Amino acid sequence: MEVRDLRKVFNGTTAVDGVSFTINRGEIFGLLGPNGAGKTTTIRMMSTTLPMTSGDVVIGGHSVRERPGEVRRLIGVCPQEIALYLELSALDNLVFFGRMEGLSKAEAVRRARANLELVGLAERARHRVAKFSGGMKRRVNLAVSLMNRPELLFLDEPTVGVDPQSRNHIFDTIEGLRDEGMTILYTTHYMEEADRLCDRIAIMDNGRVVALDSPRNLKASIGDPDEVTLEDVFLNLTGRRLRDQG
Amino acid sequence: MTEMSTFGSRPLALAGKELKVFFRDPQMLFFSLALPLVLVLLMTAAFGGQSRFSVTARVVDLDGGPLAAELTGRLEAVPGVTVDLLDPETAERLLEDSDIVNLVVIGEEFSERLAAGQAPDIRVRLRGNGDTEGQIVNSYVESIVREMLGESLVARQVQAMLAEAGLEVPVEEVEARVGELFAETRESPLVTVAEETVGVRPEPIAQFLPGMVTMFTLFAISLTSVSLVEERRKGTLERLMTTTLTRAELLSGTWLGNFGRGLVQVVFLFGLAWLFFNVLTLSSFASIILFGVVAVASVAGIGLVIAAVSRTPEQANWIAVFFTMIMTSLGGSFFDTSGFTGVMGVLTRMTYNFWANDGFRRIILEGEALTSPPIVKDMVVLAGIGLAGWALALALFRLRGDDK
Repeated sequence: MEVRDLRKVFNGTTAVDGVSFTINRGEIFGLLGPNGAGKTTTIRMMSTTLPMTSGDVVIGGHSVRERPGEVRRLIGVCPQEIALYLELSALDNLVFFGRMEGLSKAEAVRRARANLELVGLAERARHRVAKFSGGMKRRVNLAVSLMNRPELLFLDEPTVGVDPQSRNHIFDTIEGLRDEGMTILYTTHYMEEADRLCDRIAIMDNGRVVALDSPRNLKASIGDPDEVTLEDVFLNLTGRRLRDQG
Repeated sequence: MTEMSTFGSRPLALAGKELKVFFRDPQMLFFSLALPLVLVLLMTAAFGGQSRFSVTARVVDLDGGPLAAELTGRLEAVPGVTVDLLDPETAERLLEDSDIVNLVVIGEEFSERLAAGQAPDIRVRLRGNGDTEGQIVNSYVESIVREMLGESLVARQVQAMLAEAGLEVPVEEVEARVGELFAETRESPLVTVAEETVGVRPEPIAQFLPGMVTMFTLFAISLTSVSLVEERRKGTLERLMTTTLTRAELLSGTWLGNFGRGLVQVVFLFGLAWLFFNVLTLSSFASIILFGVVAVASVAGIGLVIAAVSRTPEQANWIAVFFTMIMTSLGGSFFDTSGFTGVMGVLTRMTYNFWANDGFRRIILEGEALTSPPIVKDMVVLAGIGLAGWALALALFRLRGDDK
């Protein structure tokens, strides 16, 4: 996947300002930055839901600008909010979104059960999502985004507000997907998550990418990589603490 | 190889999801099914739930004689009239408290004066104007007393004529014979007026049920159109935007969902009317449901327009409520607007409710067939409204930035 000089201007305010990077097949690529840095806007443009002001994104050889329909077949999106029907069961949600991806009912049910197994909620398949804890809802949110077996998965702050057990479950799931060869774009403002999961990280601030490298190289750029943290890197690059912004 | 869906399955899946959400939303079920049912039952209770004429005549008999008993007997023999004999104190109190609105007081000299061919001692007391019931009782009493006085005068005349002819016949025998003749006349009147009811005898529930169903289908579907706008806020619409779902498929699915919900309402409410209120036959119930399919398809198109033009749930709510109230008032859900002419006549015919109410009422009240020209006209107009709504929604709704 290649992002080329991506820009988004909302009513005269530049939210994303000339962002460019490439993501290699099978890697977990992190977009790290405080709230308002432009991570979600970037993901929305990349995942075809928000028109870009200029620039382009190419996924699997298809331009998002020119062939968004082709791109949609290749991607899965786990949004920051719990984008689920709370009145329905976990299984119903997964089956429904699977059918919206064009799957037959039988195939959607088969994949839904497999995905719920993957996120550790198989036994709660028939339970209403409204009754789930925040962490369980996040896991269902993730499971839905896997229904079309995407080649590229967008995970937008998938662990916000979840308990440690669910967080670990989500990490295990993401690492398992990477091991199967899935490419993942992961946004977060939690340093330790990015450090643990990502092969490479782009640090964003004020709509721009201010640094891009592996976590170790980023840390090495300001000191001993075993001593400094990504938080220190962000402070060094922007003069501000990352968490203060959130 | 991955098993993919067939053409049209996504709108069906969307509609299925909408119906599942509908049946699991207690608030929506209350507004769509329970509230209209409660209102229908309340209105039935208020209107008495009966179409047969029925009044109660409250009578105080101070006379106690045979002719007073004859009067109450004849009064009770009138179809639909029930006589309630009261003691004077109770009757006075009930009248004073407005618990009864009419009171027939048979005076102490009633029998004596009537037997003598004199104006009898009787009064009908009414609370206020006595309502319709009091007026009717008054009219019956006056008629019966006049009849009895006439019989008494005839008996006296016959007796006088017999006496003039030199025939000594006892008074009681003359009165009995004349009484028998009048009784025969009452049993087998020489002149009768044939009564013919045109169309189906209208039950009160049959008159207001169509308006209620029309109003509540419009109301519920307008409100549920908010759900599409709500999906924008919840993020589920954005999630749908990342799938290969097309705008036409989304609108088709939403329309089908609205249609399904409306059809559930129509079948539920008219089904109850058929099963429990005896206002529909099996045949007219089938016609109502078939007509309902067209009506609900139409209103589902209207719901789609509201969903397409609204940007926030609040906006959609306001549009839905405003739209429903205007259409319901102009369209004759509360009162008959079919006689409106001029500008009002044009306005009322621009509403979905007017055409839906007209068709439902024709089937229930007039017993008209679906193929009758006025009902065919109603269905054509309703289908047109639905198609126009669909086209307008397709033109106005943008699922994604790349929608053309």
